[in-house]
Amino acid sequence: MADIKAGHLVARYLKEVEKIDMVFGISGGHIESILDGFTEYSIRTIDVRHEQAAAMMAHAYSVYTGRPGVCFLTAGPGFTNGLTGIANAYLDNVPLVVLCGRHPLRDDLKGALQEMNQIDMVKPITKWAATCYDARRIPEYMAIAFRNATAGRPGPVFLELPPDILNITIPEESAPMPIKVARNYAVVPADEELEAAAEIINGAKKPLFLGGTGVGFSACSDRLGEFVEKTGIPFMLLNYGRGELPDTHPLSIWDCGNVGLLVTLGQADVIVAAGLRFNWLFMSGDVIPGGAKVVRIDIDPREIDRNRRADAGLVGDVGSVLGRLMPLVEKKDHGEWVRTLRAASHAFIDSELKARVAPSDPIHPIRLVAKIQEVVGEDALYVIDGGDTSYFGQVGLFTREKAGVIGSASGLLGCLGTGIPFGIAAKLARPDKPVVVLNGDGSFGFNSMEFDTMVRHNIPVVVVVNNDCAWGMIKHSQEMSIGGDRLQCSELGIRRYDLMVEGLGGHGEFVTKDEEIVPALKRALESGKPACVNVMTDPSVTSPATPLFYQSLKME
Amino acid sequence: MKFSLLLFILYRKLKKAVKTNRAYRSHIGTVQLKILIKTADGKRGRLFIFDRGVLSTLTGGGHAADAALVWSDAATAFRVMASGSDEESFKAAAEGGLRVEGMAYYIQWFTDGIKLVMK
Ligand SMILES: Cc1ncc(C[n+]2csc(CCOP(=O)(O)OP(=O)(O)O)c2C)c(N)n1
Ligand SMILES: [Mg+2]
Repeated sequence: MADIKAGHLVARYLKEVEKIDMVFGISGGHIESILDGFTEYSIRTIDVRHEQAAAMMAHAYSVYTGRPGVCFLTAGPGFTNGLTGIANAYLDNVPLVVLCGRHPLRDDLKGALQEMNQIDMVKPITKWAATCYDARRIPEYMAIAFRNATAGRPGPVFLELPPDILNITIPEESAPMPIKVARNYAVVPADEELEAAAEIINGAKKPLFLGGTGVGFSACSDRLGEFVEKTGIPFMLLNYGRGELPDTHPLSIWDCGNVGLLVTLGQADVIVAAGLRFNWLFMSGDVIPGGAKVVRIDIDPREIDRNRRADAGLVGDVGSVLGRLMPLVEKKDHGEWVRTLRAASHAFIDSELKARVAPSDPIHPIRLVAKIQEVVGEDALYVIDGGDTSYFGQVGLFTREKAGVIGSASGLLGCLGTGIPFGIAAKLARPDKPVVVLNGDGSFGFNSMEFDTMVRHNIPVVVVVNNDCAWGMIKHSQEMSIGGDRLQCSELGIRRYDLMVEGLGGHGEFVTKDEEIVPALKRALESGKPACVNVMTDPSVTSPATPLFYQSLKME
Repeated sequence: MKFSLLLFILYRKLKKAVKTNRAYRSHIGTVQLKILIKTADGKRGRLFIFDRGVLSTLTGGGHAADAALVWSDAATAFRVMASGSDEESFKAAAEGGLRVEGMAYYIQWFTDGIKLVMK
């Protein structure tokens, strides 16, 4: 009878049961036998330079592949460094499986290296957290972890594995691999709610459909396409739902941008919100007019009436709910309404639309974005990370790809530094697509050492730095609040991030003039290397997101 | 004429609100912004200058501003502004009667302030 190193059970489970092919993390003595298991079972490891990046990559890998991402952290500082990434996945409802070392159980309370109570620290930011105490039960604990990450509303889970169980050898048959059962089950909305929703949608004159992350994880492009085409309803897909239908779909209103969305929301009479939270970005529901009727679709019943009482609440997976609604909704044409809202929205963003097509000196950030779009196109994956930068990227970039435009810092954690890890995960998940990260210069600093990871693993992502020499969003809101003469901790300098990347073995470009943008981007893409295009942009420009952010914190 | 008068009255009301209306004072806070309302031909208009809680004004449509509300003509401007209705503004924008130069959010902020005063 064969024996197995218990630490190898982790990789064996990942490979044989979950079909996981890639994991992210940094090494450490406490998890050595897990690492050796990755070798044994041929799981590709992406070893990074900061554990927060590993958690963020695994998070993003879930988004791009639709399957839970896995990261590994060593005990103590590996664990604490990972916390930001775990918190981000928690607030974003993303399935993330975190495997973590810990000090030996044998040495509890003896002052062991990296001894701390990790479970209590991580509990409030996970769906499920546990320590496994028995080597034979490692596969079982892994199965529980994966179930918790994916069942219902997804989220991160945390499994702590002490050396006492990893570093022993046990008979293989004492730790059998569980059989993964793919159950076909669905939470189904009540018939009367479906009928009420259909009646509201059928009676709408100025409807709007908003889809969020729940749309993305439901992977429901076919059903969503049929639904919007039958009902004629204009739509905007946000968060990880973006791209489930192409941004270029005739009923998508991404060309109206966030400003157009707010303007349109104010006039809509029916709002269908699917897999989307009415959080601070919707002023906790306040942007929805009092007179409008609201239909909510969510897998989590607690979201249905949150921050705004719904007129119909449909609990379930977005795709399956839309499937049930289809026979009840009538064929409609809202062409006139769509034309009106587009024309009105465009009138409100007139200057921004003009700035995209006119050369500027210094370069306007939206002009930079328009040039990226021109060179890279709609068949690419974009990630945007920054303050004002996030706004410009999200309104100015368009793709036909699922999760094609992701504002990685625009989730509930508003976590700067996510862009590069997300870009890396995007390229690993879809190597055939060009991947471009648009980074604020401030945000670039957090995880730019991951260029080393890209170079080592040959992951050619192009990172464009929108360099306004500032923590721009903060600088501009300080100008509004405490005044431009008292700016505090919001300015940065002219820095050659491109040279830094060259030093790490990547390709660098430095751009100060409008006409240099396109050739620099082309060279970066053609280099086949991880590349940084460092573009100096107008430091006086702010985005509409900044005053909104400033207002949200105003208390008197 | 009616449009210019409306802008003048609006200025007077806001100016008074800066002194007497707590909510409005708090709304404008320490913001430094220039908001221009004008006709597209630039012949009529008024600049509202907010400078750390102080409001001042200049007449005419030719001033530089952080954001401008540009009306196709004075009659549309008067009709829509006097109505105080978001729906009318939306319709006017859709029909080419109105556009925003600069950041729409600043105009929103300005009109939110007007709503506070007119409440
Ligand atoms: C990790 C983290 N630290 C700090 C902040 C606070 N913050 C929000 S926006 C911002 C400025 C971002 O600057 P940059 O990335 O250069 O983008 P810009 O606004 O200049 O386009 C800061 C510091 C944050 N959201 N996340
Ligand atoms: Mg910046």
